[in-house]
Amino acid sequence: MLHPLFEMQIHQNRRQFFGRTSTGIGVAALASLLNRDLFSKETASDPLRVGGLPGIPHFAPKAKRVIYLLQSGAPSQVDLLDYKPSLEKLHMTELPDSVRKGQRLTGMTAGQKQFPVVKSPWKFRQHGESGTWLSDLLPHMGKVADDICVINSMHTEAINHDPAITFFQSGHQQPGRPSIGAWLSYGLGSETENLPSFVVLLSKNSFNQAQPLYDRLWGSGFLSSKYQGVKFRSQGDPVLYLSDPAGGSDANRRMMLDRLSKLNQLREQEIGDPEITARIAQYEMAYRMQTSVPELADISNESASTLKLYGDDVKEPGTHAANCLLARRLAERGVRFIQVFHRGWDHHSNVQQHLPTLAKQTDQGSAALIADLKQRGMLDETLVIWGGEFGRTVYSQGNPEAFGRDHHPRCFSLWMAGGGIKPGLTYGRTDDYCYNITENPVHVHDFHATILHCLGINHERLTYRFQGRDYRLTDVHGTVVKDILK
Amino acid sequence: MNAIKIIMIALPATFLTCVAAAEESIEFNRDVLPILSNHCYMCHGPDSATREAGLRLDQRESATAKADSGKRAVTPGNVQVSEMIRRITTDDENERMPPVKGPKALDAKQIATLKTWIKQGAEFQPHWAFVPPKQPELPETVHSEWPKNKIDFFVLEKLERAGLKPAREANRETLIRRVAFDLTGLPPTLQEIDRFLSAPSPDAYEQMVDRFLASPAYGEHMARHWLDLARYADSNGYQYDTEREQWIWRDWVINAYNSNKPFNEFTIEQLAGDLLPAATDQQRLATGFNRNHGITIEGGIIDEEYRTEYVMDRLVTTGDVWLALTIGCARCHEHKFDPISQKEFYQLYAFFNQVPERGMQGFAPKQRIRSPLATPFQDGLDAVLARLKAELQKPADINEQLNLWSKRISEQRVSGWTVLEPFTMKSSGGTTLTKLKDNSLLASGANPQKDIYEITSTTDATNLTAVRLEALTHESLPGGGPGRHSNSNFVLSEFELTAVSMTDPSQRQTVKFTRAIADYSQANYEIDKAIDGNQTGNNGWAVDGPSRKLPATAMFIAGAPFGYEGGTELQFRLRHEAGFSTHGVGRPRLSITGDTPETLELHGIPADIRQIAGKERDQRTTNEQKQLQEYFLAHHNPQQALEQRVAELEKQKLAAIPETMVMQDMAQPRATYLLDRGQYNEPREQVSPDVPAIFPAMPKTAAKNRLGFANWLVAPGHPLTARVAVNRYWQRLFGLGLVKTSEDFGVQGELPSHPELLDWLALEFIRSDWDIKHMQRLIVNSATYRQTSHVGAAAYRKDPENRLLARGPRMRLDAEQIRDATLAVSGALVQQQGGKSVYPYQPKGLWLELNNRPNYSKAYPQGSGNDLYRRSLYTFWKRTVPSPMLKTLDAPEREFCTIRRSRTNTPLQALLLLNGPQFVEAARKLAERMLTEGGPTVDEQITYGFRLVTARNPSAAELTLFREAYATDLKYYTNDKDATQKLLQVGDSPLNENLNQEKLAAFTSLTRVFLNLDEAITKE
Repeated sequence: MLHPLFEMQIHQNRRQFFGRTSTGIGVAALASLLNRDLFSKETASDPLRVGGLPGIPHFAPKAKRVIYLLQSGAPSQVDLLDYKPSLEKLHMTELPDSVRKGQRLTGMTAGQKQFPVVKSPWKFRQHGESGTWLSDLLPHMGKVADDICVINSMHTEAINHDPAITFFQSGHQQPGRPSIGAWLSYGLGSETENLPSFVVLLSKNSFNQAQPLYDRLWGSGFLSSKYQGVKFRSQGDPVLYLSDPAGGSDANRRMMLDRLSKLNQLREQEIGDPEITARIAQYEMAYRMQTSVPELADISNESASTLKLYGDDVKEPGTHAANCLLARRLAERGVRFIQVFHRGWDHHSNVQQHLPTLAKQTDQGSAALIADLKQRGMLDETLVIWGGEFGRTVYSQGNPEAFGRDHHPRCFSLWMAGGGIKPGLTYGRTDDYCYNITENPVHVHDFHATILHCLGINHERLTYRFQGRDYRLTDVHGTVVKDILK
Repeated sequence: MNAIKIIMIALPATFLTCVAAAEESIEFNRDVLPILSNHCYMCHGPDSATREAGLRLDQRESATAKADSGKRAVTPGNVQVSEMIRRITTDDENERMPPVKGPKALDAKQIATLKTWIKQGAEFQPHWAFVPPKQPELPETVHSEWPKNKIDFFVLEKLERAGLKPAREANRETLIRRVAFDLTGLPPTLQEIDRFLSAPSPDAYEQMVDRFLASPAYGEHMARHWLDLARYADSNGYQYDTEREQWIWRDWVINAYNSNKPFNEFTIEQLAGDLLPAATDQQRLATGFNRNHGITIEGGIIDEEYRTEYVMDRLVTTGDVWLALTIGCARCHEHKFDPISQKEFYQLYAFFNQVPERGMQGFAPKQRIRSPLATPFQDGLDAVLARLKAELQKPADINEQLNLWSKRISEQRVSGWTVLEPFTMKSSGGTTLTKLKDNSLLASGANPQKDIYEITSTTDATNLTAVRLEALTHESLPGGGPGRHSNSNFVLSEFELTAVSMTDPSQRQTVKFTRAIADYSQANYEIDKAIDGNQTGNNGWAVDGPSRKLPATAMFIAGAPFGYEGGTELQFRLRHEAGFSTHGVGRPRLSITGDTPETLELHGIPADIRQIAGKERDQRTTNEQKQLQEYFLAHHNPQQALEQRVAELEKQKLAAIPETMVMQDMAQPRATYLLDRGQYNEPREQVSPDVPAIFPAMPKTAAKNRLGFANWLVAPGHPLTARVAVNRYWQRLFGLGLVKTSEDFGVQGELPSHPELLDWLALEFIRSDWDIKHMQRLIVNSATYRQTSHVGAAAYRKDPENRLLARGPRMRLDAEQIRDATLAVSGALVQQQGGKSVYPYQPKGLWLELNNRPNYSKAYPQGSGNDLYRRSLYTFWKRTVPSPMLKTLDAPEREFCTIRRSRTNTPLQALLLLNGPQFVEAARKLAERMLTEGGPTVDEQITYGFRLVTARNPSAAELTLFREAYATDLKYYTNDKDATQKLLQVGDSPLNENLNQEKLAAFTSLTRVFLNLDEAITKE
């Protein structure tokens, strides 16, 4: 999973490989075991790369990696990103059938008799030189408004959480397909030999009606299971089973691995199966992860100003802010695809009570991540994404006094930044009701195609043959949204 | 499709050793078909919707006929005039095929192959997998002394043609370990090893094989593979991934393998056991196979959308498992590669579309059926129950009590219920409550998140004993049910009453209800939740509004009589404060009674019984007396303690036998339509059940239902069923099937490496009456299987995947085998068959970190005692968070059918095996065995432990290393008591404190090395 390379039939010069000191396999030997140039000339041009397919990237990438802040539950676009002054007049009027156009409704409002439009109770204002409109619920994002591209014309087919988030993560509403991160691990490999190429961070959830998450969202589907995302946890071992059992010592552990290597080596000489050599290397990798992962999670060497940028939450592991910082640290260390999941946006009632809480949980960390990447010169090569699985209705679910908003697939908003995306742009338009797209629709498949494009991949040519068919992340659809590219 | 069968000349598909060179004889299936299929069929294949130029290159007729252009793509024997060759070689980008924006361009070699093919006459072959297997002749070989059975002739002939020799036979230690893992999933015990090593008879190997085939562990191991195909899990998959109890079906599979149920019966019962004439419960149970798909409970889901997905899943899984065809590709359009039309897809779909089920919470139909692996506990329960019931039936001495009882009930007066007229009604959330003529209150207007109805009324009655709440329906309520939510449901979180004296309002009491009875309660929302004082979470009374849509009545019985002299004001509070918004009662009506709690029971006694009780004993007819006595015995038996005990046991019994989801067909068939683009809401023409034309037709007399379909699958002439099954057996034993793409035998799949062997095995399977054990025995007894895998690096480089079979199989064990073997050698394994799934060790928080919604989530309920050490196939399988021990080692989520697992080699696996508590504990248990069972010397103890893990003795070099390691670690632990204690404390099992703790720790260090050896987790 970390190193697809080891799956290959690499056979080392045994003397070189095992000519090591008592501290274990020498670094030089291991590096040559990795033998990065083995696969293709293309990978040779990227000296840090491990694994991936020959011929990929197809063209020079703008982004080397992705940090995707997934807002599960579906944030309300009409209260956050899609400014709709027209709703002032339409407030508390009935949503006309001419606008609804037979849109199918979820089982939660299908029985509702009235659909009164409810304007956003929050003010919007323009920020930066770009004049990007943002809700007052996102004050920190306002400071980086010139760095982001807001897309107000996203749309999807699914109207319920499970199929919708599965669609966003894998291009298909039903389980079974690989997640985006798995596709990228498969196609692009990794830029690090100490960490997985696809890491998942879960923010703690405090909203008691939050949608659950599922392993399949970072699963590998029909791809080899080595490509699935690895969860870095904020409780217990950051990576499952990372710590030695109590009663050992580092010297112990090293000794034990040396014995294992020696014994496995004896066996390999007798049998000749290269899988044994690969096994030795995996144990060495595990050993190194036992150092690299705790180092990664330890933020004590971050400067006070950096910590301040992310806000007070950053000191509490498992908050969105802490995960944003962790995401930056993972990005620095060459992890290809980092996905932070934040839950709690599913506000079927009391939007006014719940939405500010959620906005506050995510606003500062997201903005800090962009500013932080920028100050380190990493934003240009890191694609940052913030968004949920669909939008929310402009009409009230239930009593307009304590209004909720139901699921809305026809239009919603997200933002992208860095990694080849045009900054300071607001893209796509919706109608006065924030119900239908009137300009530049972006489908989930288009969104996927665009992400792959930023990474130098032609989405039609990243394929995997399964059950006789060449599968793609974008199925048989998807158009790169050229307008938002730099 | 029939046309293909007729025009194509059946040539035997033979080998796939090397790519055809131009001058070699071209074979269509091997050389040409992959090119056409990958590069041309998208536009010139079976799918008529995307077909271009009126040309299809999967049929000779069309390929050689005039296309729309008037030109012939293929003119056999004449490369020059064949338009296809011109188009694939032209420099004109606008003309060249495949088009620039289409599939990958052809390379020179492929073009040469196509030219040679046309030159040699452009013969087509039918796709091999659609032609029934034919009995092949046994090939002639040079070294005829090597084969042990017919399998070996096919393998040897191919080896000899490649200029290779088979490898020598593996040694006995390797063989018994290989066979034990392959047939039981467990390592051999030392007794089994020694018995085999010392067995002198020439058929010692075959006897050893038979012993493992007869072991109950065989069925568990075989079942475990089947569970991957059957996407078996203990949870529902989608969204909150709630639990299900389908393990009784899993037990059926274990039992079927152990009783060696023939594969045709195994097939028929799982696909259509319910439709068999006089179907037994066990046959119905078998049909759980096609209910193992995920089921959603997501609130907003559209019912038909998900019901459609379930039917799709059934069909696709059945296609994968029995036909190895990618039938699902024809859901949205004609299949691009295989001759299956979209209409034919929906004709197959029709077989599986007849279940009376729903999309939302679609768990029905279910049936309570006992596990065929009934445990001694269940048997014991049955015996006790039988005895107690017999006692209850004894008429002894009940006459007097019966008389007393009949007298009492005939004398008691029932005043009945008085409906209260509401005096004031208020809603905390702004709901409008309107009094109707029948004194019920109709809720309308605002529909708040949470609401409390405060209703007051007055009465001059005293000694009140109970209150009745009727939740009535009304045409103005959404959905026709009794609740205000759009789904017709309500959730009454709490029902409260305060009684206030009208003459002296300072006299007031909160009426304490001690019991509540309802005529209907939704599961997990029982009526007593409305009087439990718990106002948090989703605790309350609900009535299945979405499905039931009927009024409901509840009765609340007060702990002590209430009501003041001079009149009482009754202040009712109907609280709706559960986590469900807008779930108010739509039309409540309240009544009171003064009947005693005992007489309240009378409400439940049928009128005719009361009438009989009213008669004198001698006035009753014999029949009446019998009726009365039966009723009395059934409901008011004085042997109440006995009764309660029986009820308790019955409850236990029911809990031990949960309802299993099974298949069933509706009495009135559901019409099936072709669904445009596969969308549930886009029905087109109606279709009737049938099988695709490429296959033999169903017999005219066969019922066009699942049973007919299942019978058709296992009819001897079927081209796929037997081949697909034996190929999977081969894959299980050798790591790869003879057809590598064991999930796809279609045109895009790989050709068999040994086509004649595959056919021979398939026909042998049928000839043996589908004897599954016979097939395992046959393969395992072959010389091919018995070869050593220790053949040196060159041989591995030459044939990395061992497609030529010039060596024995060598591969990492599956997740379950690794964990089970570790438990087995440590002596901790609990070999109890069947039963509820269990929860072994798991790091804390894995469930809650993904889902912590109150009432929809729970923490992983880690087990204790035996549950920690059961075989892995009994581990609770939660689809959205599978056991990390198994998942890290490539076990699938089981969200869909998995035919081939990945087999990866990762650092996370190293971390698991080094540090997982299950493995560290097992290392300690193994060390304990070494010290207690291994013998007096350290060398003997080390050898004992090493043999348990590897089945062999350590070499001198290995033994030296172990000895040194032990000495070093012993020194370390002797110097560090704290470290010793900590290491030995891992795991729940008690530590053997009689042993020298430092030695035990040092051995534990050593056994951790043993258990992490590549050899330990590999079948060699």
